[in-house]
Amino acid sequence: MWRKYFSLTRAGILDSLQFRLSLIFTVVGNLLYLLLIYYLWRAIFASVDSPVINGMTFSDTMVYLVFASALFNFMEMWIVWTVGREIQEGKIVIDLLRPMNYLTYIFFRGFGEVVVKFLLTFLPTAIVVFFVSDGAIPVGTNLIYFAISVCFSLLINYYINFFVATICMHTESIWGINIMKEVIVGILSGATVPLAFFPQAFRSIAMVLPFQTIINSPLQLLLHPEYTAVQCLQILGLQLIWLVVLRLLAEWFFRVSLKKITVNGG
Amino acid sequence: MKKKTIGYYWRIYRKIIAQDIKSKMSYRADFFISMIGMIATNVAGAIGFWLIFQNFPSVKGWNYYEMIFFYGFSLISATPAQCLFDNNWSLRIQVYSGDFIKYCFRPMNLFFYFMSEVFDIKGLGQLGFGIAAVAYAWVKLQLPFHVYSIALLLVAVLSASLFVIALLNLAASACFWIVNSFFVLSLCNTLRDYAKYPVTIFGPVLRVVFTFIIPIAFMAYYPSQIILRPESVSTIVWFTPVLGVAFFYLSYKVWMKGAMAYNGTGS
Repeated sequence: MWRKYFSLTRAGILDSLQFRLSLIFTVVGNLLYLLLIYYLWRAIFASVDSPVINGMTFSDTMVYLVFASALFNFMEMWIVWTVGREIQEGKIVIDLLRPMNYLTYIFFRGFGEVVVKFLLTFLPTAIVVFFVSDGAIPVGTNLIYFAISVCFSLLINYYINFFVATICMHTESIWGINIMKEVIVGILSGATVPLAFFPQAFRSIAMVLPFQTIINSPLQLLLHPEYTAVQCLQILGLQLIWLVVLRLLAEWFFRVSLKKITVNGG
Repeated sequence: MKKKTIGYYWRIYRKIIAQDIKSKMSYRADFFISMIGMIATNVAGAIGFWLIFQNFPSVKGWNYYEMIFFYGFSLISATPAQCLFDNNWSLRIQVYSGDFIKYCFRPMNLFFYFMSEVFDIKGLGQLGFGIAAVAYAWVKLQLPFHVYSIALLLVAVLSASLFVIALLNLAASACFWIVNSFFVLSLCNTLRDYAKYPVTIFGPVLRVVFTFIIPIAFMAYYPSQIILRPESVSTIVWFTPVLGVAFFYLSYKVWMKGAMAYNGTGS
């Protein structure tokens, strides 16, 4: 039963290993980005006398932002573009005929690349940050919670992306839909500015939305070893609820939209 | 052959652009969604600043309104590149597929014809937001408002926009020499996003890089200073218009050199 998923993943891994040069440049680009946000936040923190702002020190902020960008990069599966193009080109008709749920099929088709990016970009970044930050990342059971949480995040992020991609059945605009998703997820997940810096009202809104469970939840678990088991399970539980809700939503919306689909030609 | 005048190019330009806009207008929903998406990214940038300044009073001595001014300025100066030179983004694909060869057979300037084919309307949303941001900062900072300062702002913005266009041209032209050159464009785009910050925060090495090698400091920070703090502007900043023209000319020459060496794909 798992063989078909495994084959899709394997094909994805081999496919993305073809573009080694582009992987190297992804890593270089990330490092440059990290250097820039390092300088930016150092300048921002230099403007205040107190080393702790809203419970975050400069090094907390950096670890948070570095991991946020590393998580985002390895989870990016370009679902909106893939599915959007399939819809526009009409290829979706063939893929719908496959003996596999379309939602699952698209996931495993992109999963191989996620595995490669995890091993070649996320892990090295995490290891470098661990040694450079010298103790800013606590080691203990928090790593296990973090690992589980990241798996949830990956799926939550995927379902949100799939939901947004389905909108492309109703409009021709992939670019516009995708950029709006990036804006909303980027801000409300805490990836651009950590949630701790949000004003109270704004943070309350962000906390009841699913986007913070993509980035903020795993990072809370990673950076707070003092959380009790109950607190950790609460965070994971919330993620799990969103995961189920979003999966059902994505499937329902896809089913409804499929009835309306107009495929160009083909 | 008769020398082609500016008037000739202007007439041609209007005709080509009209076709492009007509074809885009046939996907009206796409146009509106893209426009909203464009403005949404700009709003998100502003929200980012707002969030930071909820907790911190200033960045390297620049306050919130001054940062909003840099941001708005960077959006306005990016507009000409976004609207008029957007076809650069598809250069790589056209060179790779061989479609680019069609531009080589037209009896007019190759660079001009290639760029004239696309007018990106959603860039106007960015322009609108940028003007609003600069106007807001202008009022809040109580900057003097008269003909002289507006003229100065216009010159500053136009010179800055030359840097944005030139960098885009150079990044796009990499595809004439490198096969998979998307990362060059993507990298330049990421860097350009940092034009909205004072370059002084990036430390001495990057400061030199961003002034002389990848001149993103000229896209907003340096020219904005002419208006925000004219008393503390360094000499090189006053040469922004000249440097902008020179950099643009250089990028044009490089682009054309690549295009002239293009042999097609043989199909």
